[in-house]
Order: sequence, then C-alpha cells, then structure tokens
Amino acid sequence: MQPGQLAIDFHAILPEIITVLAAVLIMMIDAFTRRINRRVAGAVALVGLAGAAAAVVSLWGGKVESSFSGMIVTDDFRLFFAMIFIIVTFLIVLISLRWVEDEELPTGEYFMLLMFATTGMLLMSAANDLVMIFLGLETTSIATYVLCGYRRRDLRSNESAVKYFILGSFSTAFLLYGIAFIYGASYDPNLSPVATTNLQLLKERLASDQLFSGPMLLAGAAMMLVGFGFKVATAPFHIWSPDVYEGAPTPVTAFLSTGSKAAAFASFSRVFILTFFAAAPVASGMTDSAVSALREVSTNALMVMAILTMTIGNLVAIVQNNVKRMLAYSSIAHAGYALVGMVAGDWRAVAFYLLSYVVINIGAFAVIEVIARRGDKRTEIADYSGIGFQTLGLAAALSLFLLSLAGIPLTAGFMAKLLVFKSAWAAGFHVLVVIGVINSAISWYYYLRVIVAMFFREPATGFQRPVLARSLVAGLVLAILGTLYLGILPGRVLDALEKASDIMTTAARR
Amino acid sequence: MVPLSWYLGLSALLFTIGAMGVFIKRNTITIFLCIELMLNGVNLTLVALSGFFGDVSGQLFVFMVIAVAAAEAAVGLAIIISIFRNRESLNVDDADTLKL
Repeated sequence: MQPGQLAIDFHAILPEIITVLAAVLIMMIDAFTRRINRRVAGAVALVGLAGAAAAVVSLWGGKVESSFSGMIVTDDFRLFFAMIFIIVTFLIVLISLRWVEDEELPTGEYFMLLMFATTGMLLMSAANDLVMIFLGLETTSIATYVLCGYRRRDLRSNESAVKYFILGSFSTAFLLYGIAFIYGASYDPNLSPVATTNLQLLKERLASDQLFSGPMLLAGAAMMLVGFGFKVATAPFHIWSPDVYEGAPTPVTAFLSTGSKAAAFASFSRVFILTFFAAAPVASGMTDSAVSALREVSTNALMVMAILTMTIGNLVAIVQNNVKRMLAYSSIAHAGYALVGMVAGDWRAVAFYLLSYVVINIGAFAVIEVIARRGDKRTEIADYSGIGFQTLGLAAALSLFLLSLAGIPLTAGFMAKLLVFKSAWAAGFHVLVVIGVINSAISWYYYLRVIVAMFFREPATGFQRPVLARSLVAGLVLAILGTLYLGILPGRVLDALEKASDIMTTAARR
Repeated sequence: MVPLSWYLGLSALLFTIGAMGVFIKRNTITIFLCIELMLNGVNLTLVALSGFFGDVSGQLFVFMVIAVAAAEAAVGLAIIISIFRNRESLNVDDADTLKL
C-alpha cells in the first residue's frame, strides 16, 4: 500500500479506538451520575484494556502494512510495544483503584486521563509518520501533566506538575524543530510527494542518498535526539525527572517512569533504529554521504548519552534518602541500559528490556505506595527501618523487585540486562558493555540499602501495618509473577520477539 | 521574492530567543510564553519550507501544532493557577520544595 492513498482500516487502529471509547465512557458516566463509583470506573478501564489487548492479539502476526495514508503502521514492533503499554496501564489501574478513594481524589478524571495517556502511547508505537509521533506524544504528555498535579492541594504535586509541564513542552519544541528540519531535508522535486514526514518514504530517500540538504538532516536528527532525550530522561537531559517523580502521586510516578518512558523509547527506536540506522547499513560501503555521517554521529551521541545516563543515574542514586527519588535516579540509570540496546541498533533487546523494567518497577512502586500511606508521607528510607518483619509479605515483595532491578539472576531484570549487553557486545561496543556492567554493580549498593534498612535496622516509630486492598494485591501478585516468569521462562516472549516483524526490515531480514 | 534562508534564519532566531528565555526568565507565565515563541519559530520554518517546496503537508502540520499548543496552553495555565493558589507566587525560584 503506497502512502499516497487513503486507506481507512479501522481494524488497524482497533486498540486505540477501544481505549478512547473506554475513556469517553468513564467521562460520560462520571458526568451523568455526578460522581462515578471507583469500582465502575476501574472496571470500565480494565475491560477496555482487556479489549485493547484482544485487538492487539487479533492483529499479531498479520500482514505488515500501513494504513491511513501511511500514518499508522501495523507491524509486530508496534504490537509488542502496545502490549507493554496495556500491561502498564492494567497494573497501574489495579494499584490505584483503592488509592484514589483513600486520597479522596476525583475518580472519573483519574481513570479517564490514564486511558487517554494510554491511547497516546499506543499511537506513538503505531506511528509511521513524524506528525503522528508528535500527536501521540502530546496526547500522552498533556494527560500526564494533569496526572502529576492530581493532588491539587499538595505543594509537591503542584510543583511536580509545573516542572513537568514546562520541561515537557520545552522538549516538545526541540522535537518539533527536528521534525521540521527532517521534513526540509527530505525535499526532492522529482518525487511525489516532494517532501515528507513519512518514515518509510524518509528511509527510502535517505537510503538513495538524494537529499535536499545534508546539514539540515544532521541538525534535525540532533534536535530530535534532544527532544527524545528529554522524554526518556537521559543524561544530560534528566534534570527534571527526579523532581517530577518525587512530587507526583506514587501511582502516577509509576506510570510516568514506565509507561511514558517506554512510549518515548518506542518512537525513539522507530525513528533512529528503524529509519535512520536502517537507511545506512554498516556494510553498505557508503561513505562520505550525509546518511552514513548521520549513522556515525548519532551512534556516537547515543553512546555518550548511554554512558552518562547510566553513570549519573547510578552515582546520584547512592546518596538519595528518599525512596521515590532514589527510584527516579534508578529509572534514569535503566534508561541508560536501554540506550545501550539502541546503540547496538537492536530494537528487540530494547523492547524486552522495557517489558521487564515496567513490570518490576510498577511492582516496586506499588509497595512504596502502600507504605507511603495517605498523602505520600512516609517515603524516606528511614521510614523503612525495621518494617521487614512487621509486614513480611510487602517487604519480601519489595526486596524481590529491588533485587530484580539490580539484576539478580532468575528474575526479569537479569535477562533484560543480559540481552541488551549481549547485543551491544555482538555489535562491537565492548567498552560500553564494560561500563554497563560496572554500573550494574554500583547499583547493587543502593538497592541493597533499602533491603538492609527493612530487615536489619531498629523499627521506625509510628509504623502501622498497612491494610491491603484486594486490587492492589492482585496487581502485586501479577507483577511478581511477571518478574519471575520473564526471568525463569523468558523463552516464549523471546521467541515471539525473534519472529517479530517490523515494517522497515520485512523485505530483507538480517 | 524573499529567499528561503531568511525565513529559516528568522525562525532560528525566534526559536533561540525562546529557548534563552526559558533559561533566563523567572516568571512561570513568561517561561510559558517563551515556549510558545519556540513553537512559533518551528511553525515559521514549516510554513516557509512548505511554501518553498510547493507541498501542503508542512502547512497541515502547522495546524496540528497550533491545535496541540492550544490544548497544552489550557492544561498549562490550569496547572500554573493551581500552584499560584497554593503558593501565591509565580517565581520559579520559589518552587523549591523538591530539591535537586
């Protein structure tokens, strides 16, 4: 299907349609019944997500094609990421069902915004056009700006929202400028359309090396690198994330550090790995062209970003005393590990990394949410002293998640790191892998610190055993099972990934 | 006819002024306006390129950007109002509850 034709194919956007409908339904019920019951809102959201997952499954393994004038693409790359986002939102809904009520926050808007953000994320992975990436990104961002400031009377939450909003729109401006430059660089008067933002056409034009302006292409790629760098919180563009993550309500932090990060990585990989890198294969022997310069420069830039991100994230996490803040830095470090996979140009490793990371991280935040209690009051590491034996289940779960984040074998975190490092080693980035492994060793210190505090310190004063809601327990159990499943029996997922198609390489698989 | 490079130069200038403003200014609303300036710099680039190429898709993209910027402004101003209600200040230096 040529991207010039209009191809309306509602099946191709069924997951997005279902999530939007669920969001609108929640909004409507909320409006007509004055105040939606949290169970109803949560049930609608969960059913919507299950429907979206079914739609994704119905698309899986089908024909790789683009629809809606080349705006949307249906390939396994998109569907795999879509599954990650659906899992993220599913778990977030479970862990926040009781929380919204305990905090006395408006229920309808919360679940509605979550669903709209999910739709944006789904669109980001489905996008085959820079315009669509921008729209998906903004749908996600605008919904999450509001979610960050959801605790309206809490100064920390306000501040988090303002910071996220300002730095988010700042980075969007960079991304847009990059898109404008790429659009300009793609100009060729002999082709139709003469200039394009469609990624498939872009790749063809880049590969044929007929460009309007090489410098414009490089400038555009650099701007997009900055824009995406902000969105996935990589050093040196990570400054916003600890503040935003600490101030936002805990389930929202979990959502930000997993969902929106994974979505940004999806678009990031789509643009850089599947478009820019795929346009200039290393072995093609093209030298001195703008495209091979692009590949070289952006690989180097990504490598520097990966090293900085891992190192800064891990070193600064060591000195944090607030658990949420520590996990924010840990999340920066994990973005660094995922970037290692991007440097290697292996989106499969990145996708598996993100899948494992989101499951583990949401689990960890779920425990933090319960221990923090109303208003996020108990989030210092001192508050975790000695709670290990008072609430053994929670402490054990948190320990499992933290160890998995550190990368202990038999858990998802280990498999994820192994895959990323393996593909980077195979691609010849040995220094990067060594730095990654050293960083991974450093991270043990701060993860173990929390575990030691929980089990080997004098009990903190005023700790009460938290009451666990059933939905939260369900979310936790799912996260634990996911962590172990991906760590012990990752075979099926890896197999699916290995066979997964992506639109840029379906013609010629490597 | 005004050459393309002038348009691109002007939009780069607008974008840079906006970006500098985000770093220099201390008032949240002013920072927000600086971001709008950056977006308009991008819009000018797109319109100029699109006019030069004789291809409408760039101009269509500008409509998307304008629409999204409007949505963003609505949400952003609401967020700014909510922090102002709690703190009675729009200065970003006062927003230091969360330290680096």
